[in-house]
Amino acid sequence: MSKTILEVIDLKKHFTHRKGLFSSFREKQQSIPAVDGTSFYLKENETVGLVGESGCGKTTIGRTILRLEKPTSGTIIFDGKDITAVPTEELRTLRGQMQMIFQDLDAALNPKMRIRAILREAIRVHHDLSDAETDKRIAELLEQVNLKKSKLSNFPHELSGGEKRRVGIARVLSVGAKLIVADEPTSALDVSIQAQVVNLLRDLQKQLGLSYLFISHDLRVVELISHKVAVMYLGKIVEIGLAGRIANKASHPYTHILWSSLVEKQSIESSEKAKSVHAGRWGVFDFERPVAGCRFAPRCPVYESKGKPSVCTNPATEPQLVSIGTSHRVACHFPL
Amino acid sequence: MSAETLLRIEDLRTYFHSQSKQAFVRSVDGVSLRIAKGETLGVVGESGSGKSITALSVMGLVSGGPGVIGGEIDFTSNGTPKNLLQDLDSFVTVAMQDNRIMSVRKDVVRWEQRCEDLMKGIRGKEIAMIFQNPKSSLNPFETVGAQITEAILLHTEIKKEREAKERAIQWLNRVKIDTPRLRFDNHPYGLSGGMCQRAMIAMALACEPNLLIADEPTTGLDATIQSKIVDLLAELKFELGTTTMLISHDISIISRLSDSVAVMYGGTVVEYGPSRDVLAVGDRAKHPYTAALLASIPSRENLSEKGYLHAIEGDVLDTINIPLGCRFFARCNRVTDAIREKCERHEPDLREIATGHTARCWLYFE
Repeated sequence: MSKTILEVIDLKKHFTHRKGLFSSFREKQQSIPAVDGTSFYLKENETVGLVGESGCGKTTIGRTILRLEKPTSGTIIFDGKDITAVPTEELRTLRGQMQMIFQDLDAALNPKMRIRAILREAIRVHHDLSDAETDKRIAELLEQVNLKKSKLSNFPHELSGGEKRRVGIARVLSVGAKLIVADEPTSALDVSIQAQVVNLLRDLQKQLGLSYLFISHDLRVVELISHKVAVMYLGKIVEIGLAGRIANKASHPYTHILWSSLVEKQSIESSEKAKSVHAGRWGVFDFERPVAGCRFAPRCPVYESKGKPSVCTNPATEPQLVSIGTSHRVACHFPL
Repeated sequence: MSAETLLRIEDLRTYFHSQSKQAFVRSVDGVSLRIAKGETLGVVGESGSGKSITALSVMGLVSGGPGVIGGEIDFTSNGTPKNLLQDLDSFVTVAMQDNRIMSVRKDVVRWEQRCEDLMKGIRGKEIAMIFQNPKSSLNPFETVGAQITEAILLHTEIKKEREAKERAIQWLNRVKIDTPRLRFDNHPYGLSGGMCQRAMIAMALACEPNLLIADEPTTGLDATIQSKIVDLLAELKFELGTTTMLISHDISIISRLSDSVAVMYGGTVVEYGPSRDVLAVGDRAKHPYTAALLASIPSRENLSEKGYLHAIEGDVLDTINIPLGCRFFARCNRVTDAIREKCERHEPDLREIATGHTARCWLYFE
C-alpha cells in the first residue's frame, strides 16, 4: 500500500466581505462558506479528481491546500506533517514539494519574460544551481514536456495555448514538486491539444511518481485521468469513490445529474431514469441564504419524489459522508 | 437534400493584416457552404479554424482590415436570392505573386457604407445571431426585457410598445426562464450565465429570423446548464424549425443538433456532409482530421490499451504561413507513400466521396 501524501480533515475556508465604511451598521458580518468542511486524502502516485459546478469551491480547496489561502479551520497534513499553521517563512520550502498548475494560462506566465527566464527563475528560487546546471535542467524539462528548444527565446504571447500549458507544467516540474494541484489544466484548450496534455500528465505521473489533485469541470477528462473522483456541491464533498463507480454507479442524486448531463450520453441513451432525475429544479444556491439540512435538497429530484421528507431539511440531520462500499462514500439520506 | 437553399457561401475569403508580423492572417480562406431551409448545419473545428469569422462575415460584422476580400454570400429572402457581398470586387484589388497575396487594397469606408445598405433589413431581422459570451453581448445598462422589446419593435410588425412587451414576456417564458414577468425587469448582472444565454436566445428568436447563427452557444457554461441549453435548442428546433447554423468546437453538441456538418480546419472546410455520415463512428471513409478529432474526444472507448488518448500531434495550423499542399499534411497520420508528394505540394479540392458527402483529401481520389 502506498503512503498517503496529503490528508485534509474537515477543512473550512470562509470568505468575509471586506469591511467598508458602513459595515458596522450591518447587523452581522456576512461570510461566504466557499469550502465548508471537507475531508479527503490523496495517496502517492494517485490522482484524485475534483468535480462540481463553478462556484462550488473546487479552486478554493486547491488554493487552501497550497496555503495560498489561509484556512478558516481544519487540518492539512502533507507528507506526515501538519502544515495548517506553518509560518509564512517556511512556506517557500514547502512549496518546493507542492505546486499548482493555474487555470488561466495568460495570467500565470509573466508577459514580459521570455520562456527561458520564466523557467530559470523558478529553478533558482528553489535550488542553488550554476548557470550551466540550470540550462541543463531546462533542457531536461523541455524534453519531459515535449516542447521545442527554439521556444525558449519566445515570449508567452507568441506561444499557442498548448505550448503555454506545457511551459506551465515545466515550471511546476522544475521545482521538483511531488504533489501537483492542477486547476482546470485542460480547459480553454482544443480537443486535440487537450488530449496531448492529458497524455503528458499521465506520462509524468508514471515517470516521476507524482500525485495530482485534478480540479476540472470536464467530467469526461476527470473520469479518465483520475483514480478517485470527489464530487463537490456548494463547499462540501457529496460523494467520493473510484472513478468508474462514480461515473457509472453514482449514489448521490447530484452526481447522477452531473454525469447524465453529458450531452453525448443523452443522445445515445436518453434513458427514462436520466430524464426523471433531470427534471430537477432550477437555480443556483444562494450563499447568503443557506438552506438548512442537505444543501442539494432544493434541486433534488429524490427529495421531491419522496414527498419532501423533513429529514433532508432538518439542520440537525445534515447528511454526512458514510461508507457504502470499497472506498466509496456518499452524503445522502436516500442514496440511489 | 432537395430542399430550397437558404444560404449559400461560395469561396469566402476574410483576411486580417497583422501589423507586427507584416503578413496576412488568412482566417477564412475559401469557405463554401450551403444551408437548406429548415436544416441545422453544424460547423465544427478547433480554435482559429475560422468558424466564428465565417459567421461574422455573413452578418457583415467583421471589423479590422482588410476583412472580407472575396467570395459570394447568397441569402434567399422572400424567395429571391440576394448576394450580401454584391460589388465587393469593385472595392478590393488584390496583388498576387507566386500564389501568395502580397497586398490587398480595399476601400473600407465606401465598402462599409455599401455593406450597411446590403445588410439593411437582413441583419437581426432575417439573420439573427447568438454570441459566445451572453453576459458581454447583452447591454449591461438596460434590463433584459427592454432589450428584447427593442428588438421586437425594430424588427417585427409589432409597433406598439405594450404588445411588444407582452411578446417579449411570451418569449422569455418560451425559453423557460421562470417567473418571466419578474425577470423582465432584471439587468444582465442579476441573471446567471445560463439565464443570460436563454435571454439571448429569446431576443434572437423574437424577431422570427429565417436564419439563426449560434456561435458557441454553450461554451463557458456549467455542464448541467450546458445540457439544458442544448435541450432548449433541440426543442426550439423541433417547434419552430428555424434554419440554424450552429458553431461549436464540441462535437457532442454538434452531433446532437445538426442535420449536416461542416468540419473546418485552417480556414477552409475539409469535410462536409450529412451529420450521420461525417460523425459516424467506425471506419467509414472520412477526412483524417475528422477521424482524429473524433478519436481525441475523452471517453472510455477512445482510450488506448495503455490508457492514453489519441492526441493529434503538433499544433493547430497558424493561418499566416499556410503550406502549399494540404493544410493538415503536417499532422496527418494517414499519408501513404503513394500520395505523399501530392499531399505536400498540391492542395486537394473539396470533392464528393459519397452522395452529398464531400472531403478535401487525396486519399479518396487518385
